[in-house]
Amino acid sequence: MPLKPAIPFLAGGLTLAAVASAAAPDFASQIQPILELNCVRCHNGEKDKGGLRLDTRKGLLDGGDTAAAVVPGDTAKSELLVRVHLRPIDEGVMPDEGQALTKEQVELLDAWVRAGAPWPEGLTLTQRTPPAPKRVAMPEKAPASPAEAAAMLDDILKRENAGTPVITTDPVDDTAFLRRATIDLIGRIPTVAEIREYESQGDDRREKLVAKLLDHPRFADRWTVFMADMLRIRSAIPGGNQLLAYIHGSIAQGKPYDELVRELIAASGRANSNPAVGYLLGDDVNPMELAASSAQVFMGVRIGCAMCHDHPFDDWRQKDFYEFAAYFGKTRKVQGRQEGMVYTTEGDESAVLWPPEDKAAGKTRHPVTPRFPFKFEESKTKPAHLVRLEALRRGEQQAATSGKEAAELDALLDAVEPAAGTPRDPVLEEAERESRALDVHADIYRSSELRAELARLVTDPRNDHFAQAFVNRVWAELTGRGFVDPLDNFSAYNPPRHPTTLEFLSREFIANGYDLRHLIRVITLSDTYRRASLPATTPVVQREESEKAFSAATTRRMLGEVLFDSVVAAGHLADFKWPAGANPKEITREIRVPTGESAATPPPDGKETAMKESPAMRGDGYDLESTLKLDFNALLTKKEQGELESMRAMSDEQIEAEKMAAMNRDAQGNTMTFKTETVTETIDDNPRFDSAMHMATPAPPAHFLRVFGQPERAGLGEFRDTSSSLRQQLMMLNGRMTHEASRVGPLEPLHRILLKDHDLAIEHAYLEILTRRPVSEELADARALLAADPFEGMADLRWALLNSHEFRFLP
Amino acid sequence: MSACTDYQITRRRLLKMFSASILGMPVSQLLAQANPGKGRAEHVILFWNSGGMSHLDTWDPKPGRKVQGEFAPIKTSVSGMEISEIFPQLAKQMHHAALIRSIAGTNGDHGRAQYELQTGFGQTPNILHPGLGSIVVSERQPLGDLPAFVSISGQAARAGYLGQKCEAYFVGRPGEKDPYLAFPEGISHARGMQRLQILEKMNARTSGSVGANDMKATEIALKDAVALMESPALKAFELDEESPQTIERYGNTEFGRGALLARRLVEKGVRFVQVNRGGFDNHGNIFQAMRDHGAVMDPGIASLISDLKANGLLEKTLVVVLSEFGRTPRINDAGGRDHWAACFGCLMAGGGIKGGSIIGASDADGMEPAERPVKVPDLHATICHALGIDLNKEVITAQGRPMRLVRKEASPIRELFA
Repeated sequence: MPLKPAIPFLAGGLTLAAVASAAAPDFASQIQPILELNCVRCHNGEKDKGGLRLDTRKGLLDGGDTAAAVVPGDTAKSELLVRVHLRPIDEGVMPDEGQALTKEQVELLDAWVRAGAPWPEGLTLTQRTPPAPKRVAMPEKAPASPAEAAAMLDDILKRENAGTPVITTDPVDDTAFLRRATIDLIGRIPTVAEIREYESQGDDRREKLVAKLLDHPRFADRWTVFMADMLRIRSAIPGGNQLLAYIHGSIAQGKPYDELVRELIAASGRANSNPAVGYLLGDDVNPMELAASSAQVFMGVRIGCAMCHDHPFDDWRQKDFYEFAAYFGKTRKVQGRQEGMVYTTEGDESAVLWPPEDKAAGKTRHPVTPRFPFKFEESKTKPAHLVRLEALRRGEQQAATSGKEAAELDALLDAVEPAAGTPRDPVLEEAERESRALDVHADIYRSSELRAELARLVTDPRNDHFAQAFVNRVWAELTGRGFVDPLDNFSAYNPPRHPTTLEFLSREFIANGYDLRHLIRVITLSDTYRRASLPATTPVVQREESEKAFSAATTRRMLGEVLFDSVVAAGHLADFKWPAGANPKEITREIRVPTGESAATPPPDGKETAMKESPAMRGDGYDLESTLKLDFNALLTKKEQGELESMRAMSDEQIEAEKMAAMNRDAQGNTMTFKTETVTETIDDNPRFDSAMHMATPAPPAHFLRVFGQPERAGLGEFRDTSSSLRQQLMMLNGRMTHEASRVGPLEPLHRILLKDHDLAIEHAYLEILTRRPVSEELADARALLAADPFEGMADLRWALLNSHEFRFLP
Repeated sequence: MSACTDYQITRRRLLKMFSASILGMPVSQLLAQANPGKGRAEHVILFWNSGGMSHLDTWDPKPGRKVQGEFAPIKTSVSGMEISEIFPQLAKQMHHAALIRSIAGTNGDHGRAQYELQTGFGQTPNILHPGLGSIVVSERQPLGDLPAFVSISGQAARAGYLGQKCEAYFVGRPGEKDPYLAFPEGISHARGMQRLQILEKMNARTSGSVGANDMKATEIALKDAVALMESPALKAFELDEESPQTIERYGNTEFGRGALLARRLVEKGVRFVQVNRGGFDNHGNIFQAMRDHGAVMDPGIASLISDLKANGLLEKTLVVVLSEFGRTPRINDAGGRDHWAACFGCLMAGGGIKGGSIIGASDADGMEPAERPVKVPDLHATICHALGIDLNKEVITAQGRPMRLVRKEASPIRELFA
């Protein structure tokens, strides 16, 4: 078998090695640290990835599943060397997690293998924790404004990038900024009116724009999508829609993030009276799952791996995990008599017992005492950002009136609100209040002291994990990648590339009261946010490094929801753009007609949910693009009837179907039988599309949103899929939405303009779809399209613009 | 290299194309990469029966025992092999098929068991394992123009870390027109093609300037989409080419049409077809339910096997009838059976399988495997083995983590193969 490396760059690497010094490096001081820091963590006696151990000489010589790791004296046959010679971007490169080896380290390993790979007799290596990443100095004083904070952010990042060979691109132009920021902050492209307003403004227009977008009603829509991904909100789970509506409301009202998380962790009760409880219900109120997700989602720490065993490569022990989970140990889920009536309560006994079930043979298992395993940074003097936070919160408290107390009481009473405007008998009211207070403290609504304590610990301003995990996610949402990646895997073995930048932003976030809008304002006002992406001609390695350094923008595609809403906006599909009756369409559909007979046995029950998931094809087959709007307000009304609760969580169509099903049952509960008939009717097919950000979530499999990467949100650590697919193309090329968005409706402005002036109409179309004017070549091409039939030609032009790269990818 | 990893031409992949570095194989031996194993199968048709199909009322009857239930066993075309009376037509095809009667499952929860049966892995946080179909199409190059992986009447397992391109192409209802495969109504073919030309020109202006890789990936997907729309093979999705007698022979139910569509797709080169059906979670009234299931499944599967045999595709096509677990031998008070994972069965036919074999056996009441227990991942190893897929293959996830396609401890049921 030829052992000559097949790859030119690899050969280069080996040649390089060949000229390195011939003397054997010293094992203890030069080789051992490399192996212990970079290899032994995954290749040891307990964890032998790829069947390979690198902690003993025997393991080294035996090799793994593929080949001997080291053949003493032969660098070309030593798989270990082949792998470490690969570039960081190559498949199979080692180490595959953490930092790549330096050139010097690789040369040392080479020299060592050539010298026969000497290894002290009987030595077994142990894993070493890597040194903390290097930091640069933080600014000495607090920024006076968001703009100043943004400038500090740029400065720190620049200093952290110093010495790395990256390319820094120019900022994108102001119109591209308008498009980028509008897409990021409110989840759709800007309208022509918004473009014109922006263009008419002076030098401070970017700052004004950001301020306007942060106040826009769609801001809450867009960032609910972000939070729904993070919290894995699923409408299909009891309380899922209420949680969605609650998050939406919390973002709209600017609830501080720490307060939000305290509510989520400490919530008790029923989803319709306390929607925050949806967080607990999402993990089925399982202490282990809740512990894993709370650590990973809110603190970016994958302690969940320690659920079953000591964490293989972090320093978490199984006991740590159990102690953390014990905060959720007394929480129980109760299923009410009616379907959909689910609530949480506190039991007396903890369900979290030690030792773990599989290690408990013959031993008594005892409840675990809760302990918070994350350490806070303690310092003698209070850090400035905490002082600032306290000052801010004091001010807020003074501003708030004594209404605070009343609000708390409200939360306690929790259940029915007296109908507004109805005069009440004070005595009766008092009695009622008392009885409800009793109810509150009775078993069903008992609140959790343990989780209240946990909520305080997680959101403690001294807990750096908490702010950093969130800041890292928001940063990634706005720039395309996190400081730490995967976003929820902070670890000594996966350190941020820009620790100081991350720390600075996190501290600003804390000091400003955990305000999401403030954080986004600082980021979007920075030069870093405005960077252009690198041209295609840039060498790939340099490109990748520059993007990782945030000195050039990562190419981002719109999220599925944003793409959907942007097509709706560009095509004027949010409202009817055709007069009534302009689009008659004959449809044939199947209806069920009762036969008048009834069957005693119900049909095989429809419980097999896996099948129910498949979306039923609508008459025209396009229901993979439909959106059924949820009424967030209605979801949050505090109604007592369970039936109503579950009704609210359903779409109108579902409610209709439910009613139909009820009607189908006769007095004896027998189900009537039906026959299927095909009917043909003419309907007014006037297109209109709701926002994709108000529908039940995640959308059904194969829905437009799912095809464009909306996650299933079933398990932890699932992120949006940003890859391209054939299905995406088919849906954009041939979908009803793109088609209808392209057609020029008589009620949209473009129709009028097109009748008057083709050039103006073309410019308008470019502005509406791409947020820019056509260049002369594009104008000429478009004129030719419009020559024969302006309306059909315009539809062709718009269809192509909507399908173009430039539309789908952010500028 | 993987046939479908995805359209996202990451640098890693771009380089991979040139450098051909494949994990699971020493880079130094790359040039010596042999053809995939010696499996004979080229296609898989998986009938996925959601809800937990009773093993005692299908492949593993227990005549004369208390647990027998309402069905009598019937003789099949293989002497000594008996199956439930609900499959009279299939009984005549059993000389092409093998039964596995000793699957030792570990999970009695629908979600977790479905995940494990479809992916071969247990559900763990932070990783989404690809389903069987995705694994197959990632390892075997597509044949013809049609999507390599098609899921009918429901969703197959996701592609997980294999990426979007390994996801199944979804057919809502077999035989119904998919509006996304043709230009929208009112847009003639000529006009549609003209629109594509305009689009191509627009894209050419931008793709060189920024984000080249993502845009390149989008363009490849676009070309594939147009090729699919233009392909004569699309006819395979339409059942009106089949005679009413044929449709009737398959049962003319959604399931039957699905089975027929599966055959047509395989004929056009589709690698993996999954036909989904539910209704097996029969906690009550199981015998009526299974009688109805039999009436639907029997003509579809039997006709499929005999048609594949007739047109010579059976040797190359592995047919699998599978569910997430079996059901309790004990019949409950509601006349149903509950979840039972400790022992259940499945049917495999074609694809190089030795017809008429029975693998393993359950104990007298179908409670536990009595002979040759088969682990769930062994099923996956078996299917991959049938297709000649390297069981030791590792792929790199988007997060840079190497993952095996088949669990390390899994081994194929070698005695199934001739």
